[in-house]
Amino acid sequence: MSTPRWLAAAVSLALVAYPRAFRRRFGDELKRDTIRTLDTSGTLGTFGTLFLSGLAERWSAIVRYWSWSTTTPHLYPPAGRHAMFWDTLRLDLRYAVRLALKTPAFSLLAVLALALGIGANSAIFTVVSGVLLRSLPYQAPDRLMMVWSDNTREGRPQYPMSPANYADLRDSVREVVTLTAFQSFITTNRLMTETVTETLHQVSVEPQMFGMLGRDAILGRAFTPDDTDTVLLSHGYWQRRFGGDQTILGRALNIDGASRTVIGVMPDDFVFPYQTMLGPDGFTRETGVDAWVPLHLATDPFANRGAGLVRDVHYLAVIGRLQDGVGEDEARAALNGVARQLEQAYPDTNRGIGTTVIPLHEQTVGNVRPALLVLLAGVGVVLLMACVNVANLMLARSLGRQRELAVRVALGAGRARLVVQSLVESLVLSAAGALIALLFVQWLVQGLVAIAPATLPRMHELRPDLTIVAFTAGIAALVGMLVGIVPALAASTPDVRLALQDTGRGTTGSPARRRMRNALVITEVALAVVLTVGAGLLMRSFSTLLAVDPGFRPENLLTLQMTLPDRLTSPEARQAFYDQMFERLEAVPGVTAVGGTTRLPLGSTSVTTTVVAEGRDVPPGEAPEVQFRRALHDYFEAMGIPLIRGRGFTNADAPGTPPVIVINETMARLVFGGEDPVGKRLRTGPSPTAAWLTVVGVIGDIHHTGLEHAPEPELYMPARQGPPVSPFLVLRTTGDPGALASSIRADLRQLDAGLAVFDIRNMEDVRTESMAARRFLLLLVSVFGALALTLAAVGVYGVMTLVVAERTAELGLRLALGAQPSAALRLVGLQAVTLAGTGVAIGLGLAYLLSPLLASQLFGITAHDPISLVGAPTFLLLTALLAALIPARKAMQVDVMEALR
Amino acid sequence: MDRFRPESFLPLTPVAFEILLTLADGDRHGYSVMQEVGQRTGGAVTLHPGTLYRALARLLETALIEELEARPSEGDDERRRYYRLTARGRAVAEAEASRLADQVAAARARQLIKARP
Repeated sequence: MSTPRWLAAAVSLALVAYPRAFRRRFGDELKRDTIRTLDTSGTLGTFGTLFLSGLAERWSAIVRYWSWSTTTPHLYPPAGRHAMFWDTLRLDLRYAVRLALKTPAFSLLAVLALALGIGANSAIFTVVSGVLLRSLPYQAPDRLMMVWSDNTREGRPQYPMSPANYADLRDSVREVVTLTAFQSFITTNRLMTETVTETLHQVSVEPQMFGMLGRDAILGRAFTPDDTDTVLLSHGYWQRRFGGDQTILGRALNIDGASRTVIGVMPDDFVFPYQTMLGPDGFTRETGVDAWVPLHLATDPFANRGAGLVRDVHYLAVIGRLQDGVGEDEARAALNGVARQLEQAYPDTNRGIGTTVIPLHEQTVGNVRPALLVLLAGVGVVLLMACVNVANLMLARSLGRQRELAVRVALGAGRARLVVQSLVESLVLSAAGALIALLFVQWLVQGLVAIAPATLPRMHELRPDLTIVAFTAGIAALVGMLVGIVPALAASTPDVRLALQDTGRGTTGSPARRRMRNALVITEVALAVVLTVGAGLLMRSFSTLLAVDPGFRPENLLTLQMTLPDRLTSPEARQAFYDQMFERLEAVPGVTAVGGTTRLPLGSTSVTTTVVAEGRDVPPGEAPEVQFRRALHDYFEAMGIPLIRGRGFTNADAPGTPPVIVINETMARLVFGGEDPVGKRLRTGPSPTAAWLTVVGVIGDIHHTGLEHAPEPELYMPARQGPPVSPFLVLRTTGDPGALASSIRADLRQLDAGLAVFDIRNMEDVRTESMAARRFLLLLVSVFGALALTLAAVGVYGVMTLVVAERTAELGLRLALGAQPSAALRLVGLQAVTLAGTGVAIGLGLAYLLSPLLASQLFGITAHDPISLVGAPTFLLLTALLAALIPARKAMQVDVMEALR
Repeated sequence: MDRFRPESFLPLTPVAFEILLTLADGDRHGYSVMQEVGQRTGGAVTLHPGTLYRALARLLETALIEELEARPSEGDDERRRYYRLTARGRAVAEAEASRLADQVAAARARQLIKARP
């Protein structure tokens, strides 16, 4: 029988799992029988079973020996290898701890460096796993999909669905996927009591949504299909507003003048919808949900026009649950098939409308994944550098112990013993580091949660748990190995003869060891270059973003949102209220201009409409889509948006006069090409009988969605020709706008107790917040970069100190023979430059290759931005030289007599 | 050591009982135990070598089987070790068999097994 040698070798390898004594006794037969089994019927599993049963034998031998050594008979002697293993380990541990205590400065430095690296990694990993890996708080969440309309006409793949399209899709794909809808935006509603009016942020969801998500109320019940005038509260709102009142069930709440009965409270961990599940349009920049109300399309006023559901108003977000046994692709194909049928059946509304299917988890956290992975990579590099640094320190320390090691080898210590012992030393260090890290990692995570941008989903769901401990322990073990392996290998091959000879100078590193040490420093510098280039890119990108002109002046601008009292039902009553309000606000000392709008730039939502210019016939479905807002009072003036042509709105633009609009420059270009738009007319919406609107002015572009997004076409109508219910106000102030906040709020309250005022903020803060995600990333990567820089400097300093110490005799000789001290400086300096330069060169190459991974996080610069690619390494090189200067100065001051003695 | 009580070993693991059963026929080496068990059970029980030798080790420790000094037949592979059932082993196997028989009888009484025709 010919057995392949690799097979025999593989079996032998698996046999290592068994205790040695067992192997001695049964090994040959076990090996032979296993190979015969493999030849006849074996599979890969046979190897696994062989190995696992060996581990089981080993484990049971240890347990039996330690627990019942006297009462259990043993086939092989109890003082076997497993007992020896523990004894040696105990010795090694004691030795390692004693050694660590003997060199407190070294140990402290190493432990702290490792604690920092391990702690930072644990914290970042906790965030990453909590945000990216943890499943959503729904039942079987991986079967849930987000289904959008794919508006190919406007290139918007995540477009809300219209009620009629949703109903058709839902009914046609029932066999494959169950669809349920909710309004794709949060509404701000008024909760009215006898004394005050408060705001309440709610979402309308189809009653079956909660059943489909697989979550029930913690108190009371979730919706049933018959629910109409009911409301479900979120746990947070219930706690905040009602103090966790258990008797809340059955209470009637007056929401926007209608009475709704509280039927339940959802659990604390239930979040729905996440901000990223909402559509682009809406009325408020709030993202937290206080309550849910049932949505019935058949009776929803938005959804119905005339006889049936509307097909051209897109406002539903849709979630689907795959039926058992159905794959994602199958569902996608089914939905696209139906979408194509609808496209043919209703070309006017549905041409170019497909469907987009995105797994719900991807929808929720997909947009933050790249940034988080960048963070994880960055913090990983920092840890790697800490490892390299500590490894270098250990290497240097082992230099001083060379004689001790040589004696041990001479007395018969095996190479394996020395390696294990060295590994135990580094594991003791990393374990100590991990313990310290565990002390502060909780605060690190809390700190991260505190500074995280609101747009980072799931951050506030992070709860401390045992995974963080497990992860810290895992990293510590890995780090211990990584740190220990280089010194371990170096320690295991001492040159016995050389070390035992009493040369009197003793500690000169062998060339191999010098090479290893240099390699470590070069690695460190290279890694530092990668990180600092990354930080540099993010910094440049951020400053480019800061330099973007938003199109208005955000400084000294107070913003707030309000919802008018319920009693103001007619437009006239609302306008009268506004007139009174603006008059009052303008009189407030320190306020120079007041205005308002329905959608505030940076961080609020948007709403769009299609427009058709007079004399420019376009087929239905191809009319350009523009952002639609109303302007109240002196909005453009208060915001500081420049008027380019024509005029702004005046009090004369009132009901009864021809409707007028002001458009921005982008819209003027989009709709009228190069012509002067002032005086031209256009219509909004699909209706061919809508009134003509006359363009009276053109204003400058503003960045509405975000500073990094190009300005969109915008159309403003005067609020007098249709006063809104829930506008944003902006107040231009002479001093700090925050100082006026409380008095303005009081003024408005005094004006009408039924007025709901909320979300009072400084526009400068709004602008800052719109960049919060970038700031977060930049801040953390900069911290990593700074750490990397420090570690690299410490590394270079450490090595150059060693170099000088090693070459003291040589330098002394040179000086004695007449060399100038500056020559010594040059000698040491040159070596430092060579080391750091090599590291920088390698790091630069790495950075060039890796920086495109950062491209998705950059704005306004390319991933190969020359300033970052040159600046960061130069800075690093200078730092390294500075670090080398201290030992180099020492080299100049070498005492010749001392050195030669 | 205390007085030997076969009951103190019960219940045996299925693997241990199979080995004792097989050795009740006569002395065998490890691989032939594996083959015999496979054949007798019609492939229903297949012993993995690792499992077999671990079980043999336990049986040797408790002296239910012993290793033979002499090889039963000439010309056989001399590296094979042969095992024999000891008196203790036979007593334990009998006790286990009667325990199982009791269980089967109990099952039959509750009509979990149909009476043989």
